[in-house]
Amino acid sequence: MKINLSRFFAVFASAVLLLSSLFYQQVSAQSSANAPRAFAITNARIVTTSGADIERGTIIVRDGLIVAVGAGNLQVPVDVRVIDANGLTVYPGIIDASASTGIPAPRPTQQAGGGGQNIAQFLQQQQQAQQQAQAQSNSTYPAGLLPEIAAADLIRTSDSSIETARNSGFTTVLVVPRERIFQGQSALINLSGETAGEAIVRAPVALHLTFVPLQVGQFPTSLMGSFAAVRQMFLDAQQLQEAQRNYEKNPRGTRRPDSNKSLEALFPYLSRQTPGQAPIVFQANTEREIGRVLNFAREFNLKAIIAGGAESGRFAEQLKAQDIPVLLSLNFPRRTSSTSPEADPESMSVLRARAEAPKTAARLAAAGVRFAFQSGGMANYTDFWANAGRAVQAGLARPAAIRAMTLGSAEIFGVADRMGSIEPGKIANLTVVRGDIFDRARTVTHVFVDGRMYEIPAAAPTTTGGGGANAAAAQAIAGKWNLTIQLGGQTVQATVTLTTQRNQLAGQFESTLGAAPISQGEISAEGFRFVVKLNVGEQVDAVFAGRITGENQMTGTVTAPQGTTSFTGTKTP
Amino acid sequence: MKKILSLFLIVLFVSAPLSAQQRNTAANANEILIRNATVLTAARGRLEGTDILIRAGKIAQIGKNLRAGANAQTIDATGKFVTPGIVDAHSHAAVDGSVNETSYSVTSMTRVHDVINPNDINLYRALAGGVTVLNVLHGSANSIGGQNATIKIKWKRPAQDFLIPDAPPGIKFALGENPKRSHSNLQPGQTRRYPATRMGVEETIRDAFIRARDYKAEWDEFREKSKRDKNLTAPRRDIELEPLVEILEGRRLVHSHGYRSDEFLMLLNLADEFGFKVKTLQHGLEAYKIAPEIARHGAAASIFVDNWGYKIEAFDAIPYNAAILYRNGVSVSINSDSNERHRRLNLEAAKTMKYGDVPEEEALKMITLNPATQLGIGNRTGSIEVGKDADIVIWTAHPFSPYARVERTMIEGETFFDREQDVQNRAALAAERQTLERDEANRPSTSPRATQPAVPRERVKADLDDADDIDGGNHK
Repeated sequence: MKINLSRFFAVFASAVLLLSSLFYQQVSAQSSANAPRAFAITNARIVTTSGADIERGTIIVRDGLIVAVGAGNLQVPVDVRVIDANGLTVYPGIIDASASTGIPAPRPTQQAGGGGQNIAQFLQQQQQAQQQAQAQSNSTYPAGLLPEIAAADLIRTSDSSIETARNSGFTTVLVVPRERIFQGQSALINLSGETAGEAIVRAPVALHLTFVPLQVGQFPTSLMGSFAAVRQMFLDAQQLQEAQRNYEKNPRGTRRPDSNKSLEALFPYLSRQTPGQAPIVFQANTEREIGRVLNFAREFNLKAIIAGGAESGRFAEQLKAQDIPVLLSLNFPRRTSSTSPEADPESMSVLRARAEAPKTAARLAAAGVRFAFQSGGMANYTDFWANAGRAVQAGLARPAAIRAMTLGSAEIFGVADRMGSIEPGKIANLTVVRGDIFDRARTVTHVFVDGRMYEIPAAAPTTTGGGGANAAAAQAIAGKWNLTIQLGGQTVQATVTLTTQRNQLAGQFESTLGAAPISQGEISAEGFRFVVKLNVGEQVDAVFAGRITGENQMTGTVTAPQGTTSFTGTKTP
Repeated sequence: MKKILSLFLIVLFVSAPLSAQQRNTAANANEILIRNATVLTAARGRLEGTDILIRAGKIAQIGKNLRAGANAQTIDATGKFVTPGIVDAHSHAAVDGSVNETSYSVTSMTRVHDVINPNDINLYRALAGGVTVLNVLHGSANSIGGQNATIKIKWKRPAQDFLIPDAPPGIKFALGENPKRSHSNLQPGQTRRYPATRMGVEETIRDAFIRARDYKAEWDEFREKSKRDKNLTAPRRDIELEPLVEILEGRRLVHSHGYRSDEFLMLLNLADEFGFKVKTLQHGLEAYKIAPEIARHGAAASIFVDNWGYKIEAFDAIPYNAAILYRNGVSVSINSDSNERHRRLNLEAAKTMKYGDVPEEEALKMITLNPATQLGIGNRTGSIEVGKDADIVIWTAHPFSPYARVERTMIEGETFFDREQDVQNRAALAAERQTLERDEANRPSTSPRATQPAVPRERVKADLDDADDIDGGNHK
């Protein structure tokens, strides 16, 4: 009997394909472990970033890697799932060069039954949390001065922020812990995988440092104190390193230097003695902040990267000459609003800063400074694309803008040999977009992370807003709420009536502290947020942030200049 | 086209810093001749109809009918008064973040020069009041506060340019209600800080110097031993104690906040015990009670003229303080400690003539040469003398007249405030504001929910000192 082999294989392959795609649909909700690992993206416009764009081409992905890229229809293997990307553009996976994605945000702790807490209890809890952080690391330094804190230890792949970022088109994030001063050591992760170990591409990447002081009563409480605290730690680390080396040379008859986890964590970042000195990312936005951290880096001969960098354009030549990259925040300054009718006019410096922010990227590019875009703690990822678009309008070449969220970022993090462009052999991180990537109307249709495909449903809770697709959340929050706010041992009753429009919140707040319309209201995957002008002796902006905890229940925190406290809410039918 | 553009950019970038440099050297090398002024020298009396020739940022000649080079800029000062730039020996302008590191009572590790904000608008306003030098101090919440920064207000320059390179370093001390935190409101959960009494303040300072003495001994021993043994590990560097060692070695000036005479005597005795000098007693409202003792120690006083009664320890103040100290041979300066008062220090100095008949030139010295000497920069600024920095103010009238206005403030021959220029610039600024407000990023939202922008209201205080704010004295 003659068997038509090729026909047999075709049938066999399609059966496998059918089975596997059925299987995929079944399991994709729980696990992607058994999902197909081979794809062909055909008829796509491909922005490779490493070479020329391909107007109509094919990308073949297998086992987490890009195996082939080319114009026209490449030989598509029979065992791959084919995605017809006609009308879509494929970019290398978009990298957010700084965020705390995957590290759970501290949640307001709230006893059941709505029993609140006063500020003293809140501070006590904070203190406990701080002691816990210290206990975990067994360090004598307070929380905030623990450079050993590592994002790699804190990442939880179940955290919803990973999905939010991925749905917004990101495949990769440089994850920075949420501490102050020494923020900790970052990890570059792919937004996929069951475990942190699976997600991590490289860790640690850098040590992150801000000079934002600590809470009241805890050294340092001032900016100059922050500089002093950090300076002393670097000096101590240098000294400990030398003492340990001397001891190792001649342990007998020498007193053993103490081990110190916090100081030892600084060793890889110290100068001179360390081959392959690791970089320190300094958070600095204004001209004077950048000037300060550059001085500090010079003082200790550190390998610096600037993060934030709003006014880094003014240092372009110096940054280029010293090869200091910038993780440029796309969280451009926005107008804040208040209800005070007799508010002073905004200062020129504030007006100028807002107008100048989009121009920085072009200035850095013109001078040849290496830079990467980061989300900079923005509440809404839509700003990432829109503000990258504003940078392009302000003179940044489009390819340079794409590069600053793909290959350019990969180069700064030392992983350009494995990601950042669409080339055979690289990690299959791809972002597939319908429409112009810098246009508000663009949609992300697919994201490939480590070769796993995520289809982004058009109406999924995608970005932390933007698409306005979070209809369920919007419906849950709309209505009249009775709020109980804890304020210095007593409770304050208030009502807030909320209306929603896409991801925007509007409404009216009423209480004994005054009645005012709410402003800057937003709904996101994390919850909601709005600002109310309250009169507590003086006019203050109270920022309400919380989430819906159950049917007709909400809980959250109120943050004002005086501190943070909690509130609960019940929806009136 | 691209080539041309990149060439253009290169030219732009290469030439920009060059031209700035050229401008500076031009400003410095070029001669400036101030003609026919009434010069109050603050050193050699009052000179009528006098010219001042400035060359390379220094005062080159003072005299009548001076001749300058062909390219010299000439400023006709007929009918005008010229004084040295005003030196404010107590300021908290230009500090980013809190003025006080309130966590500990000894914070000698903090340095104001780490956090200078060269864009603080109060600096420009100080220039407009004829001030050229500020002693920017840590606040008074701590027994031993942070290290100061002595700056010249080189407005629109980077912070580094503000620092006077050869100014001796200093440090803030504080006595009395502020370091014992009498006025601080505790946050919930916060415990009261040691010390809480005046004797506790003394103990805190003594303890710090005992530690500093031990620290110095440890290092001295290491330096001695390491001459023979090269493998010795150096002792830990302690940036809290290093500045205190510098005080013990006479290399750092102590500027101590305080009010009561008994406490000042305590500090002077403590300094004698450890063998160092206190350079200035700041505020010193009761200094008149111990003027001979202050003179004997060699300390100076940097005071308010007639502020009093704003706290318990300020009740024994008298406006004759300056005159009494002056007549006892104490160097007196009048300071502001305020972003408001530093705009009118000339009138504060004038008050010393009313209260106690301080001679005119001595009164002027109290805001120029005396504070400069107290800050260790009297050799380069503070008076109009040949060879000194051309830090010069031109006034429309005698600076002790309430009608006097500053026309021009120069630092090292360069004009940093020019009243005429300021008035001219206002139209351009208004136009820029209009353009900026039309800019997309600044345009008010059209949404009905939109409200006014939130702008923190500026409050400038002159009647309190720097530790009275709950946050530890942040004036902004």
